[in-house]
Amino acid sequence: MTIEAMTPNGERMTLNMGPHHPATHGVLRIVVESDGEVVATCTPDHGYLHRSIEKIGECIDWPLFVPYTDRVDYVCAMNANLAYCLAVEQLLATDAASAVKVPLRGECIRVLVAELNRISSHLVAVGAMAMDVGAYTPFLHAIAQRELVNDIFEKLCGQRLTYNYVTIGGVAFDLYAQASEEITRFLDQFEREMVRFNKLITTSTIFRDRCASVAPVSAAEAIAWGLVGPNLRGSGVDWDLRRDESYGLYGQLAVRVPVGQCFAGRHGKVGDCFDRYVVRLLEIQESVRLCRETLKLLPPPAVKANDPTGGYQADVSRQLKKPPKGEVHCRTEAPRGEMGYFLVSDGTKVPYRVRCRTGSFSAAGIFHKVMRGIFLADVVTVIGSFDIVVPEIDR
Amino acid sequence: MSALAPAGIAAKVTTAFADVQAKTTDNGQPFLLVPAAALPAVARFVRDDATLRFDAVMDLTGYDALKYPSTPSSDAIVVVYLLFSYQHRHKLTLKVLAPRSECAVPTMSGIWPAAIYFEREVWDLLGVHFSGHPSLRRIMCPEDWVGHALRKDYRYPDDYHGVLHLRDGQHFESSPPRGAVPVAVPPVAAPPGAVPPAGGAA
Amino acid sequence: MNGLGYGVDGLSHWFVGIGMPAWLAVTMAVLLLWIAPMLVVVFPIAALGQIFERKIAAAIQRRVGPNTVGLDGPLRFAFRAILCFLPRARQDRVFAAFCKLPVVRTILKVSQRLGLGQLVADGVKMLGKEDIVPSGADGLVFRMAPYLALVGAFVPFCVVPFTQHMVMLETSVGALFAIAVSGIVVVALKMAGWGSGNKWSLLGGMRAVAQLVSYEVPVGLAVAGVVLWCGSMDLHVIVGQQYQPGVFSMVGWNLLQSPFLLLLAVVFFIAGLAECQRSPFDMAEAESELVSGFNTEYSGLRWGMFAMAEYTEMLLIGALFATLFLGGYQSPLCEEWIVGLPVLLETFVHLALFVGKVAVTFLVMMWIRWTLPRFRVDQVMRLSWLKLVPICLVCLLGLAVTMVSSGGTVLGAPFGRLPASPHADLGLIGRLVAWAIPVAVVLGLVRASRKKHGQLHPALRQLTGGGS
Repeated sequence: MTIEAMTPNGERMTLNMGPHHPATHGVLRIVVESDGEVVATCTPDHGYLHRSIEKIGECIDWPLFVPYTDRVDYVCAMNANLAYCLAVEQLLATDAASAVKVPLRGECIRVLVAELNRISSHLVAVGAMAMDVGAYTPFLHAIAQRELVNDIFEKLCGQRLTYNYVTIGGVAFDLYAQASEEITRFLDQFEREMVRFNKLITTSTIFRDRCASVAPVSAAEAIAWGLVGPNLRGSGVDWDLRRDESYGLYGQLAVRVPVGQCFAGRHGKVGDCFDRYVVRLLEIQESVRLCRETLKLLPPPAVKANDPTGGYQADVSRQLKKPPKGEVHCRTEAPRGEMGYFLVSDGTKVPYRVRCRTGSFSAAGIFHKVMRGIFLADVVTVIGSFDIVVPEIDR
Repeated sequence: MSALAPAGIAAKVTTAFADVQAKTTDNGQPFLLVPAAALPAVARFVRDDATLRFDAVMDLTGYDALKYPSTPSSDAIVVVYLLFSYQHRHKLTLKVLAPRSECAVPTMSGIWPAAIYFEREVWDLLGVHFSGHPSLRRIMCPEDWVGHALRKDYRYPDDYHGVLHLRDGQHFESSPPRGAVPVAVPPVAAPPGAVPPAGGAA
Repeated sequence: MNGLGYGVDGLSHWFVGIGMPAWLAVTMAVLLLWIAPMLVVVFPIAALGQIFERKIAAAIQRRVGPNTVGLDGPLRFAFRAILCFLPRARQDRVFAAFCKLPVVRTILKVSQRLGLGQLVADGVKMLGKEDIVPSGADGLVFRMAPYLALVGAFVPFCVVPFTQHMVMLETSVGALFAIAVSGIVVVALKMAGWGSGNKWSLLGGMRAVAQLVSYEVPVGLAVAGVVLWCGSMDLHVIVGQQYQPGVFSMVGWNLLQSPFLLLLAVVFFIAGLAECQRSPFDMAEAESELVSGFNTEYSGLRWGMFAMAEYTEMLLIGALFATLFLGGYQSPLCEEWIVGLPVLLETFVHLALFVGKVAVTFLVMMWIRWTLPRFRVDQVMRLSWLKLVPICLVCLLGLAVTMVSSGGTVLGAPFGRLPASPHADLGLIGRLVAWAIPVAVVLGLVRASRKKHGQLHPALRQLTGGGS
């Protein structure tokens, strides 16, 4: 039924969902026009967290921008670091004279931290979605696990949120002693915990019915609207940059890609909120596996930091003073999907243009389309299922 | 599914449209320079052609070529369309020059809906007007913001609703010139197995 | 007339004796003996519920919960107030000496471990907050709503028999009275939603009204089933009907009298959850959707009243559930012996049993709240009208049929009322056997439907630890 049919006299109420609303965390505003409980139109309003990061990028040196990438997406700062560093390395690689080769151990550590951060980011996503649907307990269980990942990162680089760990040419520090044992121990208990988590919320009938058939996005729509990452895979598109455009160590790891296939059963549709949610859970499982695989590949540390096998950081200071002139586009698979950097270099040590394309941005772009005609209660479910992280939208 | 090489794609488009030029950037990345007037036709062509099928926009952005050492025209905003085909898994870069005097480009939002948001951002930060866009409003900056921040000749407004944009009584741009900050050297000299700054081994 | 009634009688006579007009004497007696004790008992229990809930939530979420604030602060304050004529140092010495008493020390320690002081701290905080009335609010309606909610939650306790001798109002329409008066809450929530002048509140208020009105129907029908079975609406009589001599006195409970009553009990509990706006039915507050629903604009004590009303209503649902289905204040075992005890002791035991039963239902409600996600508006309505109401109607029909046919027919006997004789224990075995058949049928149906529709996707089975 169309909204027009449901509102015979067209009386609507304008609701300001956010920025001060429990589900929008003070940084997103959605203007909802509703007919009672049914949403007629929905207009997201962005910019509450705009920090002009791209403008800052044009003012500071290439390596100095890495800490700012943390702030592009602070829920998965490792992946955000990695995306930028890979893009700069790709820029350097367009000229054979300046190309850098990241040491193997550095590559392994990169994959390790990226996958651990993917786990912690997805934990926030699924936990927050459960909370938005009204189940408070799973959120706390998810956050408890995320804290353990943060503990590992804190030992690794001294930070719990914005790591500034991945650098151009490698990573900032080598793994600490016993890191692999600790990560393995974490992964072991984490897998048991996730089974309990899923029994608590994922298979809950109420939760499934709340998410099934809500805001379905077909595969063609998802592609046309520029959805990326789990949101795209939730719609059934079998595409993952780690596998299909593999970078770093991912080529050796045989990434398995989960796609949405109407997990909610007979009431669901492919690409509904529940599919997006379950795809994230399956990706968590896959990330656990990738972490274990990577730990197996990890070469022993070498004495020299820029040793091609056991080192963790290639020497790039010379190249970054005079990178090749030109431009490059490099995309990586962050937890919220494709994080693409478009860099323009005028051959100086300061970027000419740094452009960051993020997953939440295009996910927010489809809001006004999918939120038409759903219940007011579903608005928060949809926000949760697309895993919007607002700093990524506003930058 | 058969991916085409960049040269093949370029050949296909340039034969269909005479005024599209195949070029490469300074570091050898291929792109097609499309005149603004021809853009809708070219876009529709690359999306609908069975061997091209560019069904997705990876990114739609731009940069101000004002201070860039060598571009076709230095007095223009370069709008960059990074296209991707999920069906054939190949990529294409389109560039359109929007002259600063008359900074307008036809919208692509009817062809790739993802462009609705991207174009709003380009409008907000670079001031390229996308004619025909359904809701071309600023997206990051407030609606009454003056100027477009990513233009190279952009000057911070002196104040915004009474909030002064001054630091120590000076305008932002007159505070330390860029390049005065020392280059940060990545910690290549750190000894192997260095103890991280906090935490420590268990 | 029960013990309380005699008390009121005596007191009002005495009041008249000292020269009070009759109407004032009765009012005073009722106030002193009925209402004051009720407020004194129910208020703290409802407040305690909050701490109880926080501890339970913490346990479910593997947190610690309140564990820092003990009762020594309030106690010290009380000492200072009482000993205000002494110098400060002297007061503190007396207080220190008092705290050294072993009993006091243990109590203080336990109360701190349980965070009981949090209760006092929260209360003081709430009292100290500014009472804000938004400029767009309808002042009178906005201010009145919390009181009305409290009234709706408290007054039904009048008819609840706490023990055999503690019934405030014995009336032949007790069950109806309880349901009807608690309906006032609907008006209160609507007033709060409307009067706040806030769209989120309005939506919350509308949701509350829609939900409460819908769920009064299954609640009413479930109560109707009990009334049909017991032949009375007087809650005290209903409790009395569930008396069963012998060791297994719980055989007499309505819950175990008939499979239909068991089903009705489940329906009553679910609908009762919805009646007191508890998760998964907390649509009207729905923090993540409606900010805080109807009480978005409330602050301080007025907000506290809504919170108190919510907990009181939970207690009410628990009390009604215990009364209607769990034999009220009666013991599950050996009720016969307890009735034989001296009156004071018997009252005490019964009260403890009653509070225990209420506490168990309370606990289950909290367990549900901290486990389940929230329903959506349409799902709530569907659950009420398409599931609970039909179940109630079928159960009512079934009850009626078994009641008519239980006069000796083979079919009806196992489901009919057990004779109130000391040898009814034997009947329990026969009843269990007879019940096994319908229960097995229902379970089989459920399993079949789950096999047909509820098949989990393989990926979900793998996520929950099953084979992929």
